[in-house]
Parts: sequence; C-alpha cells; structure tokens
Amino acid sequence: MTWSLHRIDDRLIHGQVLVAWGHRLHPQRIWVVDDASAASAWERELLVSSAPDIDVRVVSVAEAAEIHAVEHAAAGGAFLLVRDLQTALALIERGAAVVTFIVGGLHYAPGKDKVHESVYLDAADRAAARALLARGVALPVQDVPASRSQPLEKLDPSLVRGGAGSAP
Amino acid sequence: MGRVPALLVTHADLAEALVRAAEKVYGPVEDVERLSNDGLSRAALEHEIVSRVSLWPAGGLVLIDFWGGSCFICGVSAARGREVVVLTGINLPALLDYLHNREALGVVELAERLRTKGQESFRLQRAPAA
Repeated sequence: MTWSLHRIDDRLIHGQVLVAWGHRLHPQRIWVVDDASAASAWERELLVSSAPDIDVRVVSVAEAAEIHAVEHAAAGGAFLLVRDLQTALALIERGAAVVTFIVGGLHYAPGKDKVHESVYLDAADRAAARALLARGVALPVQDVPASRSQPLEKLDPSLVRGGAGSAP
Repeated sequence: MGRVPALLVTHADLAEALVRAAEKVYGPVEDVERLSNDGLSRAALEHEIVSRVSLWPAGGLVLIDFWGGSCFICGVSAARGREVVVLTGINLPALLDYLHNREALGVVELAERLRTKGQESFRLQRAPAA
C-alpha cells in the first residue's frame, strides 16, 4: 500500500475525510500538512483527537516533503491533507512526487468566486492551480467518493487559457 | 440557577430538524441556537460559533452531531478558554433531556447527564419468537 489520497480542503480533517473517504479507503495514517497547525501543540492535539482510530500526524510542509517518499513505501494506506492550493504547490516545489491532488473543499471567503458547489477561488488560488497543472499535477474536484470527479480546469477554463485570474 | 444556553452545530439542516422534532414532543422551544456548517470554511464556521458562545455570560453547551467532523473541530476550538462544554452525538432524546433540565443543573453536570441520556437512548428490542 501507499498514499491513497492527496486532498486539498480548507477544513483539513472533517466528516467527508473520515466518513466517506475513510470508510472507502481505510487509511492507517492521516498526514495533515499545515505549517500553522504543526506549530501549535494545541492544534496538533485537536487534530489527533478528531480521528481516534487513525494515526494522525501533523507536520510542516518541509517535514512532509522529507517523509513523502518514505511514506510512499510504508505499509498501509495513508491520506495527505493540505488546506489550500498554495500549500499543495509548496509541497510539490519541495520535491514531493504527487500526481493528483483531489480538490475536496475550498469554501467561500471574501474575494473568492464560485467554480463549483464546494470550490471558490481567488487570483492567488488560480495562480497556484496553474502552477500545479503546469507541473502535470491533476486537480480533480470531488468532495466524496460517490460524487462525480471533474477536472478543476474544466470548471474554470481560465486556468488553461492563461488568463489573469478572471472568473469563468 | 440560570438557564444553561446551548448551540446546536450540525451538518446540513439537522440542527433545525432536531429542534422542530423536539417541538413536536416538548412544545415551543426557546433559546436554542442552531447553526449549519453548510458552505462554511473551518475559519468561517469557527467564527460563527465564537460569535455566539462569546455572548454567554456563564458558559454553556455546544451540541455537535458527531465526533471528528468540522462541527466538532470548530466547536472545540471555539470552546477553548471558555466555560463551554462540547457534547457530540446529540440526538432527540438528549435534546429533550436538555430542555427539561437546563434550568436545574450547571453546565458540566448537565453535559454529563446528556451524555448518559444519549447513550441510554440506544436500545434494542427484538420481537419475541412466534
């Protein structure tokens, strides 16, 4: 077994991850890759407590880049969660060999516009998405296993037109 | 002793539905706040919870649908540093028990009681063999 899910979701660990993806893929470990969470003992403890039956590890981007290849060969399936496209890109730029990041949830915030029921993007998000796509990383949008997977660039054609970040 | 306030935080419209169901059994329900996580980022949901519980002068209960979800994560984060207890697994029997006892017990004592009532609400009854 190896990595079974790389997911971008601003909620990090939550119901869709534990219930839907967890019951489908049965991960032994969940790696939460988030510099802010990794720097907070309280936040690490909260995330670990949220999934008592799974080995949850909260690490920085730099730490995740170092362990990514090791985990790839480890026994049992593992999930990797990042909160945004920028963190996904940072992980790739540090050498993690990720082929696909599933975009699970990027919720509304001021300045972001809707490209999907569970995905809202702003200019910085789009710049990171373009960089990921340019590196050959697939970005399917899929909140739960039972829902239809749709490429992010099809939902937001501006990502492949080289636009300046305008909404589709 | 004052009334222990409560905020229901759930997926979809479960919180609203639980209160509607409780009103069918209990009668009109007042002072139970409801919040759905629909469409909210973690930061936004936590902000919504904090904006409510910070108005409670002497603590209260955040009643969550299940352990581990975004409602749980945000509820625990919002409760940090406050006299707020997070209870997960809220169901109709526990909500009814809250309504009956929220003016008789303190926050922690009430939370412990609701946990027990919720757990005890799961019972099996099999029809006797013919």
